[in-house]
Amino acid sequence: MGRYFPLVAVAVAIVLPLLTTNTYFHHLLVLWMLFSLLALSLNVIIGYIGELSFGHAAFFGIGAYVAAILGMHTGLPGVVELILAAVIAGAFGFAIGYVALRIVGPQFAILTLGFGSIIYTITNYWVDLTRGPMGISNIQPLSVSGDFLALTGARGYYYVTLFFVVAFAYACYALMSSRTGRAFIATRENAPLASSLGIDVFRMKLLGFVVATAVAGVGGALYAHYLTVVTPDVMSLQYMAALIIMVIVGGRGTIAGPIIGALIYVGLLEALRAVGPMRLVIFAALLTLSVIFLPGGIVSLWKRWFGESEAAPRPAEEGGAS
Amino acid sequence: MDTVVLAQQLTNGLVNGMTYVLIATGLTLVFGVLHIINFAHGEFYMLGAFFTYFAAKLLGLDYISAAVVATLGVAVLGILANRLFFWPLRREHEFTVLLSSLGLALLLTNGGELLFGADPKYVNSPFADNVVEVGQLVVTQQRVLIFGVGAVVLVLLYLFIKHTRVGKMMRATAQNPEGAALTGVNIRFVYTVTFVLACGLAALAGALVGPTAMIFPTVGSWAVLKGFIVVILGGLGSIPGALIGGLLLGVVESLAGGYISLGFAQAIGYAIIIGVLLWRPQGLFGTARRA
Repeated sequence: MGRYFPLVAVAVAIVLPLLTTNTYFHHLLVLWMLFSLLALSLNVIIGYIGELSFGHAAFFGIGAYVAAILGMHTGLPGVVELILAAVIAGAFGFAIGYVALRIVGPQFAILTLGFGSIIYTITNYWVDLTRGPMGISNIQPLSVSGDFLALTGARGYYYVTLFFVVAFAYACYALMSSRTGRAFIATRENAPLASSLGIDVFRMKLLGFVVATAVAGVGGALYAHYLTVVTPDVMSLQYMAALIIMVIVGGRGTIAGPIIGALIYVGLLEALRAVGPMRLVIFAALLTLSVIFLPGGIVSLWKRWFGESEAAPRPAEEGGAS
Repeated sequence: MDTVVLAQQLTNGLVNGMTYVLIATGLTLVFGVLHIINFAHGEFYMLGAFFTYFAAKLLGLDYISAAVVATLGVAVLGILANRLFFWPLRREHEFTVLLSSLGLALLLTNGGELLFGADPKYVNSPFADNVVEVGQLVVTQQRVLIFGVGAVVLVLLYLFIKHTRVGKMMRATAQNPEGAALTGVNIRFVYTVTFVLACGLAALAGALVGPTAMIFPTVGSWAVLKGFIVVILGGLGSIPGALIGGLLLGVVESLAGGYISLGFAQAIGYAIIIGVLLWRPQGLFGTARRA
């Protein structure tokens, strides 16, 4: 494995949907990739900046609503919509990060929770724009222009989302091995020391926050086009918690961690579907147990069992997921 | 502007504010003494309301006894929550503790939905339908009860923390846990007492507010959000901050709901936070680590 692990993983991910024609399975794969994209972007905040954000689902929701509202009123091509979703979610990220990042620790977590709730509340009550709790339905499929290259099947969305996941994962990898990435890690580990070395800590954090929120916006736009319906529920506390769970259970500060976390989330919820309402109780219990007994996430098990052999695919691990 | 309507809105706001104060005081107590953000705090509020409902229904108690039983019952659950979810993690990173409490919150909400059912329930109270008239102001007895009990409990809490031995132990722990332990303070006991007080306060709020609104298992996430707004506004860990922040939020929401729109009132709490934080990032009475 070693340094070829990422290539093997991507190859497997490309082949995976071809193994079956079961559309339900394809649907689960799309969900996995969408959540992977979100978890990876949240991981930038939790793993690299070192702060816990409870507002991430709101940026996902902003992206979804931007795509839905633009699709309803204009005939913009899908590509432009994705860019606008990223820009608008990123702009909100800038405004919110600018206020919230002045505070660190538990207060930051609560603040982002507050901001997430503001956006949720506004979405729920601004009926003229968002149709309130009813949500927006009949969103057009993602296309280059009009009906040209319109994506309809789950398999198509899987590959588009996979492309974004791979691109973003590579961007994270490249960032973390660059000078800027080391500045991020220095900021996370010891902010006063980092600023004494001439790193602008606040700017560093704001940059990470804006990138993370913009990517979450893209995820939201993809989600809206794929499911063709959005409701304010995508920003509810349940989703915010779910995203954090994926990053933490998978392993924060790593690239494989959030992707594994998303797989566990999607897989577990489907596997437990048979037990009905009990499944969320089981899920919450598993979360709590994994937080208490496995604070480094699933990825840390690999390290525990195989020692050094995992160094190559996860360079961001350095400094540890404390 | 009609002064009677204004006075009515102010009164309603103060009563709502008092429930926020009760919720936020427990939250701020746990943070101030133990430096724990308890996400599951709202769930104890929810349990307080449901325990009152079931104590009245299954045990056949009257409202007051049911509320007392519920409050004590949830306070005892606080011991359990501390023992299982907080005490074992006291040396871990603050994220771990925060996430553990998030897990507890999800567990209690979903467990509550499983046990109690998702459909809303009403807590019966003999005070809910009777009104008190002061001049042209009309207030239900239940609301007078909320405000009165809230005020009395807060005074008792203040005296407890200020003058009893256990209160002094709590204050010592808040200042410096290691130092307190060195001088013979039983930290484990302080953890237990703090959670018993916090959960009891949340449950009391639930038992009092139950008769004025529908109760359902997800009501806890609403309560904890209000609690967080109040503590951010007043300053995390500050009890005077919780008192003033809670009353302020109640009054502002009531005025915004009465004069602007109900939907807007929901968002205004958050808008206040942003304004306060731009000006004073540590809250009105608190201290915060700044980036």
